[in-house]
Amino acid sequence: MRFLIALLLATAAYGQSGVGVEIDDVTDNRVSAGDLVGSLELRVKLTGTGLDKATAARMLVKEARDDRGTTLSDGTDKPDFFPREYNSGTLQLSVRQPARAASSVRIKGSVELFVPSRDPNAIVTVDKALAKLDTPLSAKALKAAKVTITPLSPAGYAETMKTRRLDEKQIAEIRAEGKKRGVSEKEIDQMIGLAKALEGLDSDPPVGAVILSGTKSDFDRIFRVEILGSDGKPIDVSGRTVSTRGEASIMTLAPAQPPPANASLQLYILTDKARMSFPFDLKVTLP
Amino acid sequence: MKRFIALALFSASLVAQPKAKPGDVAVVQVNDRRTNGSFSQLMITLELPGIPSIDVGAMRVLVSQAVDDSGQSLLDSEAREPELETNSRALYAAGDKNVPLTVGVTLKNPARKSTAVKQVTGEIELFIPSKDPNSVAEISKFLSFSGKTLAHRALKANGVEIAQISPTQLAAEKKRLGEAKRKEYKDAGYDDETINSLVSSHLESLLNIEESDVLVRIKDPNKRIQDLSYVDAKGETKRISARDDEGFTILSLWGEKPQPDWKLRVSMKTSKNIVRYPFSLSNVPLP
Repeated sequence: MRFLIALLLATAAYGQSGVGVEIDDVTDNRVSAGDLVGSLELRVKLTGTGLDKATAARMLVKEARDDRGTTLSDGTDKPDFFPREYNSGTLQLSVRQPARAASSVRIKGSVELFVPSRDPNAIVTVDKALAKLDTPLSAKALKAAKVTITPLSPAGYAETMKTRRLDEKQIAEIRAEGKKRGVSEKEIDQMIGLAKALEGLDSDPPVGAVILSGTKSDFDRIFRVEILGSDGKPIDVSGRTVSTRGEASIMTLAPAQPPPANASLQLYILTDKARMSFPFDLKVTLP
Repeated sequence: MKRFIALALFSASLVAQPKAKPGDVAVVQVNDRRTNGSFSQLMITLELPGIPSIDVGAMRVLVSQAVDDSGQSLLDSEAREPELETNSRALYAAGDKNVPLTVGVTLKNPARKSTAVKQVTGEIELFIPSKDPNSVAEISKFLSFSGKTLAHRALKANGVEIAQISPTQLAAEKKRLGEAKRKEYKDAGYDDETINSLVSSHLESLLNIEESDVLVRIKDPNKRIQDLSYVDAKGETKRISARDDEGFTILSLWGEKPQPDWKLRVSMKTSKNIVRYPFSLSNVPLP
C-alpha cells in the first residue's frame, strides 16, 4: 500500500520547484532480545520536478514522536548522501522503535539534495592526479572548499598506517575511558582485540588501489571520488572504503584494473551552493 | 540477557522413537516485524539448552495452536507445512558442543493492541544424524566413480541409488533425447530445416552443465535424502546446490570445481533420526 503522507513545498529554485516525500514502505521492526531493540524504518520516494538534476539525497530527521509521546529521535543523526541512481531513487529513514500502544508517528525534518550543477566548484577534476604521490592534490576549487586530499604511494600508505597503530598510551586511554563508562575489563579487552584485528586488515591495500588520505571532515564533504582513465571516462571501481581513526581518514578505491599513470581524479564536493534543503512533515500510520 | 524460560513438554510422542527427556526451551528473541511491505511476521527464537547445535542437521517447527492475548489466532491457514531447514549454524560451530540449538517459530503478526502471545503449542522436529548409523553416506574420492553407481551401506539401507554420469554417458543421453525430440517434431509435421534448428536449440539448453558441475542420476523412492555436500581434504563441508533436469541431478558449487580427493556426503532421514519434541509457550511478552 502506498500513500502520500505529505507534500511540502520549498522555494522554487534551479528547477527543484518543490520536493515532496511519498511513503513507499513502513516497517516497524520490533525486537526484544536482551538490550537489543528494534527500529521504525521508512522507505520513501521523492516527488517533484527537477529531481533528475540531483546526484544524491538524504533525509535529516529533526523531530520524531509517536502518538503516545515517545521521542524517537534526538535529531542529531546525519546519514550520508545516497546516490539517486540506487534503489530506484528511494531513501531509507530510521528512527527508534515506537511504543507498542502507539498507532501513528509524526516525523519532521528535511530532505537534502546534492545538485552539482548548481555550483561550478562542486565537481573538481584533477588531471594526472596520481603522478605526484604523497603530495596534496592541487586545485582552486579544493582550496576554496578547504578540502585537502593526498594520494598515497605504497610507502606513504605504510608510513601512515604505522601512525595509526594503537600504542600503549592509546590503549591505556581506551581502558581509562571504558572504566569511566562502566565497561567491564573483559569487554574492554575484546574491544582492543577487535581494534588490533582491524588494524591487520588495513596492512595491505588491494593491488592497483588508489589510496587517498585526509581528515574526517575532508571526507565528510566529499560525496564521491571517480578515477578517470586516459579516455576521460570513470574506471569501474569494485570497492570503496573509508577508514577513520580519530580525525585521520584513509579512502581506498579498488579499481577493476590498475589505473593508468595519467589517470585523473574527479571529486564531487558537497559545497553549500550545491545543496538544497526542503522541509517535510510526515504522519505515519503504524502497521 | 533477559530471558524467560517457558515450559516445554519434552516427551516421547512422535515420528521417531527416541525417548526424549523433559527439558526447557528459553525464548531468546521475539521479533514482531510489522510492515505494509514484504515479510510481515512474528518470529520467536527458542534456545534448546539440552541439545547441542552441532548434533542437529536440520529442523522445523510445526505449530498446532498460537493465539495472542486479544484472542487472535497467529496461525497462517494458507501457509504450507514448513520443510526441514538445514541447521547452518552447526556447520560453523567448529565442533563446539557447548553451543545450544536455536530454532525459530514463525507466526502471523499479533494485533498491535496485544501485549503478549498468550499460548503457542506445537512440535519441534529435529534431524539428528547421530541417532542412526545409516544417516550419512560418505563416498571418498567420489569423482573416481564417473560412469559408475556409488556403493555405500547407508545408501543401500535407505534404498537410495546414486550413479555418476560420465561425459560419454552424457553425450549418449543428449543424443537419445535429441532423437526423441526430432521424432516429436517430425510427427508434428515440421520440415527438416525447422526440425534441425529446433533440435539444435533444444540440445543447447539440455543438461547444460558447467565444467565444475557434476551430473548424477538419483533414485530415492522414499524421499530419504535430506542434504548433499562435499567434504574437502581439510574436512571442511561445502554445501551443494542440486538442480533436477531431465531426470538427472546437477550438483553445483557455484563455479568451484570439486577436487579428486574430496568426499561426497549424503545425509538421509530415517525413522530413527527424525525426532519430534512437543513444546508449549505461555504469555510471551511482545516487544
